[in-house]
Amino acid sequence: MQDFLELAVSATASGCIYGLIALAYLLMIRPTGIINFAVGEWAMVAAFGGHLLLSRWEWTYALGMAAVVAFMMLVGWTTERVAVRPLVERGAPILAPILALLGVLVITREAISVSFPPDPMPVPFPFGIGRLEFAGIGGSYQTFFIIAVTLAVFIGAWLFFEKTLWGKSFEAVALNRRAAALMGINLSRVTALSFAGGAGAAGMAGLLVSPNISAHYLMGVPLAIQGFTALVIGGVGRVEGALLGGLLLAFAEQLTARYAPIPSGYTQGVPLLFLMIFLLARPTGLLKARA
Amino acid sequence: MRKLVVALALGALAVGAHAQETIKIGVITDRVGVSRPYSEPNTEGVVFGANEINQKGGILGRKIELLIEDDQSRPDISAALARKLVDQGVVFIISVSLSPAAQQQQTVTMEAKTPQMTPTNSADYLTTQLPNPYFWQTGPLGSIQIATLLSHAKSKNFKRVALITDNSELGQAIAKAFKGTLEKAGIQIVAEEVVARGATTAMPQMQKLRAANPEALFLAGVLTAENVLVFRAYKELGVKFPIHSSYNLSVPVYETVAKGLIDGITFVDAYDPDKPEVKAFEAAFRKATGKDPQNMHGYGYDGIMLVADAIRRAGSTDKEKIREAMQKTNYAGVMGAKGMKYSFPDGKRAGFDPNGMVVRVYEKDKQGRVVHVGQK
Repeated sequence: MQDFLELAVSATASGCIYGLIALAYLLMIRPTGIINFAVGEWAMVAAFGGHLLLSRWEWTYALGMAAVVAFMMLVGWTTERVAVRPLVERGAPILAPILALLGVLVITREAISVSFPPDPMPVPFPFGIGRLEFAGIGGSYQTFFIIAVTLAVFIGAWLFFEKTLWGKSFEAVALNRRAAALMGINLSRVTALSFAGGAGAAGMAGLLVSPNISAHYLMGVPLAIQGFTALVIGGVGRVEGALLGGLLLAFAEQLTARYAPIPSGYTQGVPLLFLMIFLLARPTGLLKARA
Repeated sequence: MRKLVVALALGALAVGAHAQETIKIGVITDRVGVSRPYSEPNTEGVVFGANEINQKGGILGRKIELLIEDDQSRPDISAALARKLVDQGVVFIISVSLSPAAQQQQTVTMEAKTPQMTPTNSADYLTTQLPNPYFWQTGPLGSIQIATLLSHAKSKNFKRVALITDNSELGQAIAKAFKGTLEKAGIQIVAEEVVARGATTAMPQMQKLRAANPEALFLAGVLTAENVLVFRAYKELGVKFPIHSSYNLSVPVYETVAKGLIDGITFVDAYDPDKPEVKAFEAAFRKATGKDPQNMHGYGYDGIMLVADAIRRAGSTDKEKIREAMQKTNYAGVMGAKGMKYSFPDGKRAGFDPNGMVVRVYEKDKQGRVVHVGQK
């Protein structure tokens, strides 16, 4: 039981990371229909930003975190301007920006790879290394920090979509681009903001996970895959789906690694199995968009 | 693909010297792939060594010219690069990307009868699967690593141990070697865990290990981030069994990315900082490059020195003569315990002395002194 509770805390934290990446995908895919696999690389860029600001230049954590997320939003906004909008404006098919964003993925990774030494770089913990325990639930400071920040981000995103006019305009674009445009919603502004938000969410995930796994130029692809799987599980229809998908994936991964009576190497297949089952049986994911 | 040709003909401008043809040596490295953290310092070691040789007048009165290619550790393109180097007239190829890539290059060097060696790769299969008399490996094999660790721990007389690795190709190969040696020694492996590349925690694996309650944990993984996750879970769960690690922990990167997590961890290394050759190498490297050397530079340096030694003894750049000379190598380099020499006895082509590794222990966040040597 002790083990299970401990594992539940650790799986929740992992699930939050996956959920944030899934949210990044979702923010962009909802209004535009564009799936952007560069989110993993964005998480990596944020991790390196964390290394620079927090480890090398020793900024205070809150300030460094705000700066990194703001920078990532700028990166997202610029990416949309440079790689996506010109294609959309010329009426290119939806596949064109997706491929262009794969190009962004490669460029981002190689740019980081040549700018930093090859070794993984340390990123500090906001509250140091330590363990928090209450009512039988225990975990590291970072674990709880990840969970708290992720919850705040998701609550913020939920309120944005449900309670603000801006959020409604996003939803309207997601439902019907043409009708939304005819209603006077500025499509290009919605698209730009969705990319900025996506990059911000991905950057937050990278910043939160990097104290545990260090900043490394190859860290992006696994995150992109885990986040994508979470997205498929949760569905692209609703913000909560991203978090739900992330949590389900992380629990499935870690519970099988801990309890399934199969060799440890095989448990890596579990996420893949999840991905296939959901794509085959429920391609819309668990949560459907409201009509 | 990036190509970098480093012409090292520094002294070629010397007054009155005849325009001498260089001796071309190929290097296949990894500048962008998974092995980059290891391949880059290896290559820097090779380049530094070649410069040093050239400053002392080269080999057989000729300068070394390095032709460096990047195969990204990918087996699907590495053979083509080996072919390219052979076509450019190299007399030796030094491979410092991953083992599967080096293995693929062998298909070319075997057919083209071109000597090839790897100074670092530790996968035992490189010299056992293909009967390629033109290939040698001088990195410490996985089987030597585990035997050295076990001989250090002999006094503890382990009965039940656990094994953890990652899903990288080398991590799997080392784990296999570890397992073979442990089983041969009659030691029971009570748990075998794998941490996948890209994992965000090693908590479930460490919980399983804690439940299995081994006397010690052997770590065969080679992925830095995933190894750090193992140490983090170990620390967080307050587990007490000692950790004995493969030579991956000899890379100094852990001193920064695993701060506060590695005190007391035992690891095998092929590098003894107190050895006179190492001190001389480190001083010269610092002077020439302004950078702090580490064991990975030493591997590359020994690689080019072994190749130069073979060409010197062959007395010519005839590839067959070089092959014969290489097989008769008896050379003391930077790597290995004090007094260790590389050699290929009985027709073997794996040249790291089984008694040439040392055991070291992390003290706080620093790699400590050598506490044990060899397998005795």
